[in-house]
Amino acid sequence: MLSPERRPSMVERRPSFFSFQQPTPLIVPHLAGIEDPLPETTPEKVDVLIVGTGMVESVLAAALSWQGSNVLHVDSNDYYGDSSATLTVEQIKRWVSQINDNQIPCYKNAKLYVSNDIGPNGKYQSRTFGIDLSPKIMFAKSDLLSILVKSRVYQYLEFQALSTFHTFENDSFEKLQNSRQEIFTNDTLPLMTKRNLMKFIKFVLDWEQQPEIWEPYKDKSLAEFLVDKFKLDKPQVFELIFSIGLCYNIDTKVPESLQRIRRYLISFDVYGPFPVLYSKYGGAGEISQGFCRSAAVAGATYKLNEKLVTYNPETKIATFEDGSKVEVEEKVVMSPSQAPEYSYNMPEQKYEVHRLTCIVEKNCSEWFNNSESAAVIVFPPNSLKSGNKEVVQAIIIGSGSECCPDGTCIWYLSTTQQGPRAEMDLDAALEAMEISIIRESSTKIPEDDNLVQVTQDGHSIVNSFKLGQSFKEYVTREKVQLLAKLYYTQLTNTPPFNVVNPALFDHSQEQINKFIPNASDNGVIYTAMPSGEISYDEVVTAAKVIYEKIVGSDDDFFDVDFEDEDPMAMGNDGTAPTYDENAIEDDDEDEDVDMNRDDDNNEFVGKMEI
Amino acid sequence: MLQFKLVLLGDSSVGKSSIVHRFVKDTFDELRESTIGAAFLSQSIKIKDPNSEEDVVIKFEIWDTAGQERYKSLAPMYYRNANAALVVYDVTEADSLVKAQAWVNELKQKVGDENLVIHLVGNKVDLVEEEPSKRVITVEEATKYAADENLLFKEVSAKTGLNIKEVFQTIGEKLYEIKQVELAKNPGNGNGINGDQVNINLPRPSTNDSTSCCS
Repeated sequence: MLSPERRPSMVERRPSFFSFQQPTPLIVPHLAGIEDPLPETTPEKVDVLIVGTGMVESVLAAALSWQGSNVLHVDSNDYYGDSSATLTVEQIKRWVSQINDNQIPCYKNAKLYVSNDIGPNGKYQSRTFGIDLSPKIMFAKSDLLSILVKSRVYQYLEFQALSTFHTFENDSFEKLQNSRQEIFTNDTLPLMTKRNLMKFIKFVLDWEQQPEIWEPYKDKSLAEFLVDKFKLDKPQVFELIFSIGLCYNIDTKVPESLQRIRRYLISFDVYGPFPVLYSKYGGAGEISQGFCRSAAVAGATYKLNEKLVTYNPETKIATFEDGSKVEVEEKVVMSPSQAPEYSYNMPEQKYEVHRLTCIVEKNCSEWFNNSESAAVIVFPPNSLKSGNKEVVQAIIIGSGSECCPDGTCIWYLSTTQQGPRAEMDLDAALEAMEISIIRESSTKIPEDDNLVQVTQDGHSIVNSFKLGQSFKEYVTREKVQLLAKLYYTQLTNTPPFNVVNPALFDHSQEQINKFIPNASDNGVIYTAMPSGEISYDEVVTAAKVIYEKIVGSDDDFFDVDFEDEDPMAMGNDGTAPTYDENAIEDDDEDEDVDMNRDDDNNEFVGKMEI
Repeated sequence: MLQFKLVLLGDSSVGKSSIVHRFVKDTFDELRESTIGAAFLSQSIKIKDPNSEEDVVIKFEIWDTAGQERYKSLAPMYYRNANAALVVYDVTEADSLVKAQAWVNELKQKVGDENLVIHLVGNKVDLVEEEPSKRVITVEEATKYAADENLLFKEVSAKTGLNIKEVFQTIGEKLYEIKQVELAKNPGNGNGINGDQVNINLPRPSTNDSTSCCS
């Protein structure tokens, strides 16, 4: 029943509600698929129409459905995910030609090469690849992760660990020293540097409570702050800003960088010695499917291949391309990527995210930690031949993720560099990666006595390492076999920084009040396209802002209390686990994150008076 | 314990969910609060190992369409790694068998696994028992189709519970048989989950577990 503390949901606020008090739990909406028979036609009237099944829209659909809203969720594509989709190679081909026919707003300049090795007559089948349009990683301590758990959507998904962060420097990859243990045991670091580094790490875990330290620097770059205040040297500064903080340029301001560094550190060791997870079979595409399914379980109606043509805020009628209509009682929410013709209200999508995605015929296990199948590679400013000003980031996804077949790997490169030089930076980073993976995989040739090895198909290969040839020479002869190469520019109105700030996503009010004659999208609330941010950080913030606009408050955002026992959280012996859910929901309770549980190094801690 | 994913398919209102509820809760209609919000339903059955005569527990993880089949909007996630499928039609509904056949084709296309066990089920025989003239799809017609496509087949009633347990029992035995063949082919490959990739259990952060020892 209604508890006095809980703000009534929209269902409860409807006048019809109190006329038939039901004994069943009020939070539970109509269950599609379980209540039958189901209507065969599109509902005539819904509370909310959501157009596009990307991450933000899908999280919103699930949140609203569980809150009790009657949601119709459509997508003009024949697949789920929209701008967050995970696609097969064949689907990518179609997507690229749609972009080049100007059929998909917010994307431009798409170029695709696909080798004949992928296809009906090739070695690899199109459907064995899952290519993310917006590749993302998930921090172990993040709002999205806690909502995945709370909503039980995680049960539809499988997650794997990612612990390897490489930084490209001086023409080679440095593996990130990311645990306290590694910092302590790193012989190359002078004691003084270790001490300063530990001092900073201790500060950053609790930085918001110590404004006296950082506030004088709040408009300065983190680099300046680190050098000035913590006496750190360039290698550590770069590592903190670019590998741990995953910032986009050297000018990133102090508070934002501190928040990003803390995000990494508090995520470390939540599930094990790694800060980041990714979902199997595809990233955002899988997660958005999961939220859509959750919304469907809560009663939302799903319709793919349904394109909105126009919405009339006066009659509240939304009209689709196939001629069907629906009356929308409350709000229409739409992704800019699904905007119909005459969408004069769409916010300007002024930021570019440039992406280069390659499928390579190498397993790239050299870059992964044991039992993992993914890595992140960061190219700091000025580390590439192109003289890059902004960072290039790469997410490497191997076949263990089931996103690509054995022996292949997907490289997702992106940069927030604006304009045509972005493509040059991406190409330079790709070249550096190609050289590196060949070099690293060739050093793996076993150092046995055989100078000449014979491959399976009878060709002899000379072990150049043993023959004393320089790697550089060796490199020029071998090439990484690219099975596919995809380049595109995505537009967004979300800048690639500060994406946890709700104010960034709160630009819909002005739209609603505007009425442009002949516009097809009057009264429509637009969601934000994915930004250049490498993590999912913006998703929940963006969904909540719109949720609040519709429901009036975000208090009950995913305030679902499932009464049944959770079969997946049960141990194999059938006993309930003893975890404390707060541990992952409430950042503040866990300030004292132990980054290293290896007590062997305690001697250092003592000496360093932390 | 062996665990298998089973998906439901068939057109709206043929009674897919009712079949599952009859099987999982042994109820028909009403009072379903405890299942609400569950990502999927699960139910275990016991079967006998044909050789050792020992009991084997088989757990079904049952995925309902949640209405997403209405506009052919089932996500790839739904089909992924499915071990078995229950394709349902309504013996009193003329074109529901034709639609079931379309679902079978869809399944074969979406699920690459040739070991997928498909069980065709004709529901609502209770209506026919009350009023024989309501039957529009004959047992012969469905049996022939099932045989041609190599599907298991039975007529059931979710309302009376007729043959519901038997259907899942048959699927369980078939899955177990396939599993034994697979194990014989590559021993040591436990539950069919590949390699050394470790999946992470999200509700179980290790931070709080002071007894865990990470080296």
